[in-house]
Amino acid sequence: MSSEVNAPKAEKKKNRNYLTGKEIRAIVKSNNKVTRALEKKKRRKAKEEEFLTTLKDDKNILEVEDLHTYFFTEQGVVKAVNGVSFEVPQGSTVGVVGESGCGKSVTSMSIMQLLQGPAGQIVSGEIRFKSYDFKLDEKGKPIPIWETDEEGNPVFEEKKDKKGRPVLDKEGKPVLQEKQKRDEYGTLQYEMEEKVFNIAEMPIKEMYRLRGRQIAMIFQEPMTSLNPVFTIGNQLDEVTFLHFPGSTKADAKRRSIEMLNLVGIAMPERVYKSYPHELSGGMRQRVMISMALAGNPRLIIADEPTTALDVTIQAQILDLLRDLKKRINGSILLITHDLGIIAEMADFVVVMYAGRIIERGTASEIFHHPMHPYTIGLQKSKPVMDSDKDTLFNIPGNVPNPIDMPDYCYFRERCSSCKKACFGDYPAMVQVSPTHYVACHLYDENKEGDAK
Amino acid sequence: MTNALLAAVSGGQIIAAGVMLAVVALLILAGFVLFRVVVKKREREEQAIVDKVQTQEELEANYAECVATGNFAGFDDVLESKREHALRERKAEADKDLPPDENVLLEVRHLKMYFPLKKTIGGKVTLALRAVDDVSFKLKAGETLGIVGESGCGKTTMGRSVLKLYQPTGGQIFFEGKDIAAYKPKEMRPLRTQMQIIFQDPYSSLPPRSTVGGILSEPVKVHKIVPKGEIKDYVMQIMEQCGLRDYYYERYPHEFSGGQRQRICIARALSVKPKLVICDEPVSALDVSIQAQIINLLKQLQQELGLTYLFISHDLSVIKHISDKIGVMYLGSMVEFGDKKAIFSHPMHPYTQALFSAVPNPNPDVKMERIVLNGDIPSPADPPKGCKFNTRCPHAMEICKHIAPKYKEYEPGHFVACHCYSQED
Repeated sequence: MSSEVNAPKAEKKKNRNYLTGKEIRAIVKSNNKVTRALEKKKRRKAKEEEFLTTLKDDKNILEVEDLHTYFFTEQGVVKAVNGVSFEVPQGSTVGVVGESGCGKSVTSMSIMQLLQGPAGQIVSGEIRFKSYDFKLDEKGKPIPIWETDEEGNPVFEEKKDKKGRPVLDKEGKPVLQEKQKRDEYGTLQYEMEEKVFNIAEMPIKEMYRLRGRQIAMIFQEPMTSLNPVFTIGNQLDEVTFLHFPGSTKADAKRRSIEMLNLVGIAMPERVYKSYPHELSGGMRQRVMISMALAGNPRLIIADEPTTALDVTIQAQILDLLRDLKKRINGSILLITHDLGIIAEMADFVVVMYAGRIIERGTASEIFHHPMHPYTIGLQKSKPVMDSDKDTLFNIPGNVPNPIDMPDYCYFRERCSSCKKACFGDYPAMVQVSPTHYVACHLYDENKEGDAK
Repeated sequence: MTNALLAAVSGGQIIAAGVMLAVVALLILAGFVLFRVVVKKREREEQAIVDKVQTQEELEANYAECVATGNFAGFDDVLESKREHALRERKAEADKDLPPDENVLLEVRHLKMYFPLKKTIGGKVTLALRAVDDVSFKLKAGETLGIVGESGCGKTTMGRSVLKLYQPTGGQIFFEGKDIAAYKPKEMRPLRTQMQIIFQDPYSSLPPRSTVGGILSEPVKVHKIVPKGEIKDYVMQIMEQCGLRDYYYERYPHEFSGGQRQRICIARALSVKPKLVICDEPVSALDVSIQAQIINLLKQLQQELGLTYLFISHDLSVIKHISDKIGVMYLGSMVEFGDKKAIFSHPMHPYTQALFSAVPNPNPDVKMERIVLNGDIPSPADPPKGCKFNTRCPHAMEICKHIAPKYKEYEPGHFVACHCYSQED
């Protein structure tokens, strides 16, 4: 930036930092070409085999591999997520940490396929998720579970038409059929099995079976995420109606109140009847969490769940999340910019910078032996309650412009421990310990040697 | 004939209308007199309640029985709140004539800022939101006072009423020994160069249509800080001080990131050579790595220019880093005030203790013993009776629900308002 301005006027015009109409039109044209193809792919009708894969490690519930999510804007292509790979082991909490604009939220949006099209697109990469889905027969239909009595004999019931009247045969007797098993909400039961889906390849319509039921998301701003014109009960019941087809209003209300109880709301009946504006921020966030839990998800993505809340309320919500994880035996992908929260909650930590993962490992590895200069700087720059330092360490400069990223290390301009190799290509991920990876030239050849 | 008839009819109508009007006027008058009588009577009754208890000692004596037995069954909460209010008014009235402390830059006494919610037709406020309710503190020149509390506790309102951006409902604000609480906007004008504010959101507090140079030189021009010819050099010097490059002079705010914009805001506040700067959550909207830059800049400027900060934040770790003294606010009142070391080494008020324990510690191996507060902050329009914190307090006793604790100095410079500690003078 500085060189542009200090240069003489003639050169300044050439290196101007805005685009002409002609250039914008050219960019839009090329963008449309790419996005149209990708949108078409998202809308296609696909058989299940097309997006079935296998996990690398069966202990994981989610594996993201080399994910590229771009935004095609008029100014150019923003590589919001640029080659991100990480895993979420079953039953653990993985924290994603980074500054604003580093692509943490876009990663979570990609996992849910909630990106705003046609600008935002998953361009390449794989998101493998272990789902719990219907087992299909040869014809591609789910296999029902039939009700049996105590001795194992099938139970029969009268066949009914759409209006609920019994179907009669030619002799006037009601037609009998095998009775299919229903759960407490009246939902028909089918045989289930674990399947691994590649979310990046899934059409939007197929995503409906994962969203809410298998993967749930807690959004950042509880005020804007709840609908102001419907009661809390109305919005919570909707989840039950959707995920437990056949449930009645009474079933849905029972379940909603059960969910509100689960997240520690003292008067669930009253909250059930109230509108979002009548609740405080902490209460609204609890409602959001209960809504996420209503579909019995296996993975919860919490996107900055406490950023808009006060410290005391934040403590309540974090306690709740930790408690819930134990109770429903789920996994959490926790996205935040607060290192303190990550340290308290996460088992594994992923540090992102400008759309790439620069370091990942277990929580104690990241906090006790941070290796990447950015991670080290981030930890030193946070004022800590039990230390008495006079000045804080600060990382100079800003996050680079996401359009036209350089091909060398993105952190080079802000890094205090650069060496010759940093002026070359973007560093590759280096494995330091079985779980600890870092993308920095400092650890390239001489793995644990001349750090710092 | 017809003309005469018409005249007679209209004459009769006029008389009838006149009589009607007179009756209506009389009725209105009677109603008003009755209303005044009722109001006067009620006022007299209220005054009687207040006059019944003359001094703090008598009040204490009245409590003594309830407090000693711990039985508040027959306790009149409404009466008590009225008494307490009246006593506070009396205390503020008594303190009014005390000379201001000469060693301090800013002294705030019994500051009140009420926002009316309901008014009678006559304009009398019947229900008010007590955003700041009886806050007092002193701030020495060159020091930093950190104000911390949850959102909605009135910290921002307090900062703004100190600057007279709101007209305070009551209380005194001594700035360099002068009581500015009653100053009119015109009288405040020359003082504006002495006290400045940095706002929370650097994205919405800079005018998008002026250049950085324009933003920074306008206050210099208005207040005639330097002669006209030297304005640009002066602004350049301020920019350099705040870590802004000289070629930013011609640029517009939208070209900058959050951290740089906050630097512009700081430069704008400093361009009139203020003594007191109110920092209203200056780093809350910024990223962690940028936060450190801004905090360091503020500290460095304080050392160079001898500034005094009133630093408002909800982030305890930031407050701890920058402040010399700390005030903890809850629902419009100061619940604890003291030196940083005293407050952090042994926080006395249960709310302060809970607040400290709620801050996440960036060390995965240290699992802190958490004090988790139940529920949310109550509405300041209808604060709880007695101690305002009693609804969420883990140590709440029976007395807390009825009698407000005194704001008392337990150690030199360490004020707490809590029933957990001795209330006797």
